[in-house]
Amino acid sequence: MAGTGKAHLRTEGDVLLRVEDLVVEFPVGRTGLKVNAVSGISLDVLRGETLGVVGESGCGKSTTGRAIMQLPRPTSGSVLFEGRQLTDMSGDDMREARTRMQMIFQDPISSLNPRRKVRDIVTEPLAIWKRGNSTEQRAKVDALLEEVGIDPQRAAESQPHQFSGGQCQRISIARSLVLEPTLIICDEPVSALDVSVQAQVLNLLEDLKAKHGLTLIFIAHDLAVVKNISDRVAVMYLGKICEVAPSDDLYRAPAHHYTSVLLDSIPVPDPSVAATKTAIEGEPPSPVLPPPGCRFHTRCPAATDVCRNEEPKLREIATAHFVACHHPLYGDDVPVSVA
Amino acid sequence: MTTALASSTHGAAEVKSARKARHMGWMFGTAWLVVLSFCALFANQLPFIRTYDAKVRVAGQAKQYGFGPGWTAWLGTDNSSHDVFARCIYGARQTLFIGIGATIIGLTVGGLLGVLGGYYRGWVDRAISIIVDCLLAMPALLLALLLIQRTDQIKETITALGWLTRTEEITITLGILAIAPFARIVRAQTLGLRERDFVLAARSLGAKSQRVIWREIMPNLVPAMVTVAVTGLGILIAAEGTLAFLGLGVARPQTWGTMIDAARDDLSKAWWATIFPCLFLFLTVLSFNFIGDHLARKFDIREAAV
Repeated sequence: MAGTGKAHLRTEGDVLLRVEDLVVEFPVGRTGLKVNAVSGISLDVLRGETLGVVGESGCGKSTTGRAIMQLPRPTSGSVLFEGRQLTDMSGDDMREARTRMQMIFQDPISSLNPRRKVRDIVTEPLAIWKRGNSTEQRAKVDALLEEVGIDPQRAAESQPHQFSGGQCQRISIARSLVLEPTLIICDEPVSALDVSVQAQVLNLLEDLKAKHGLTLIFIAHDLAVVKNISDRVAVMYLGKICEVAPSDDLYRAPAHHYTSVLLDSIPVPDPSVAATKTAIEGEPPSPVLPPPGCRFHTRCPAATDVCRNEEPKLREIATAHFVACHHPLYGDDVPVSVA
Repeated sequence: MTTALASSTHGAAEVKSARKARHMGWMFGTAWLVVLSFCALFANQLPFIRTYDAKVRVAGQAKQYGFGPGWTAWLGTDNSSHDVFARCIYGARQTLFIGIGATIIGLTVGGLLGVLGGYYRGWVDRAISIIVDCLLAMPALLLALLLIQRTDQIKETITALGWLTRTEEITITLGILAIAPFARIVRAQTLGLRERDFVLAARSLGAKSQRVIWREIMPNLVPAMVTVAVTGLGILIAAEGTLAFLGLGVARPQTWGTMIDAARDDLSKAWWATIFPCLFLFLTVLSFNFIGDHLARKFDIREAAV
């Protein structure tokens, strides 16, 4: 898998966000080595679309989300949001531009300041930008809290730890909506929640998306969750994109070996079904010294010499279905040319 | 099964008694400090406390160590026939002033350095760490002696500094010594806090660094700061005693340290004049430690770099 290449980027349509060749590296102490968290990925999201990003822990999903917000700024690459280049913006312009996109975090408890009242937390964005007087702010915040299903009265006098995880996540969602952003980056928003609560929060997100005309980037490691909410799904492995396809196509006919293994690993809630057919072997390689060629070749059942030496590029194997693999599971039967 | 049950109840009982002991310690510490502060604050009004200069005379005569502990003078009289109890109470004023003042100086300066270093990282952190490490590397006692003697000299040459009393000198000196440990603890706490999601959330909402520090980080530092401040107070009070013992005390009104220093040569003649100020010092430091422990447990703060 490689995921260099931009064949999957769309030129027509109302592109809200366009990420090209995004690279994020972190130094490892003073060793001179670096963690290649994200190694040149490209993505685009149309206005009103939901893009799912899936992959194992440590594959760079969250880092991608944060790099889009420029928190921290990526090592290189371009992030075009609403027609503006974010990567070379000055600090103050960036602060302002950031309000147009917001983030929801995995840990609902940690993402709320434990020492402040919930209503103050939700009002904070308005206070930072001095929007409206206190009555207007309060009206707006209360309306939003009601919308996400939190009693404003209780929010006024309670601290985050007095709410459940699901409620905290609702509060986070309310906070992210206060500034009326167009893009919400959801960084595993339901991973820390009970399954029953997960469904509620997902439904809430869908409702709010329709009501506020939002565009979502939905990061998760749970494929089932992503399937339902996403229009398009990008699969990541070790800092690269391996497959991009409309949600239904991806789940029906995965073309990348990694995607296929991921899908097989979804547990089937039926005891009569035999356990996983092909369990993935081994651990993902270290992002400090990623393997050459296709990054998945060390664990791929179909790996050949070409995979060890040549990095595959994303190419279209069916309408809107892109894969970065020398030997995709289906698609063109033409032997893979190494160009 | 029965043995397991028995041992588990035994363990529970032990835990319970340990908790009870800690609770007793906390209760005692609070009670002692409340009573002591009350007496110190209202020493002039309370009828059972003699004034600072009142002499307890034996048959009309001022007599060195005239009274031992007893009804006339509860804790005896000292070498110039002053009431030791009254002097201990007036000493508490001095000692608490020095301790609290030094803690405020240390916590303000150290806390600020710690927050800035921990939040901004990079060269700011490195510069602050070097200063803090230098402060820690110097032997505290020597530094204190040098500082106080140096300010004494400066005061002789620069008369504009004449307002600076010995009490304030000692307060400032101990405050400077307290900066480094406070800075370390606050920095460690800030390092953890800045990685929390709510800080990232605030930044993604467009909050400036200053706002993040004041609104998001500072409120979360309060428990740790209160805890180390209380524990630090105990240490600083003991340090003041040490300085006074070495002859760098406050002559008037006497601190506990000065009292001990003045009376210790006559320990065999009149033990009370030395032992009781020691006891006051001991109980006060102990109380601050008890309360500090209690707060640390309550706020769940690991003893980082104390």
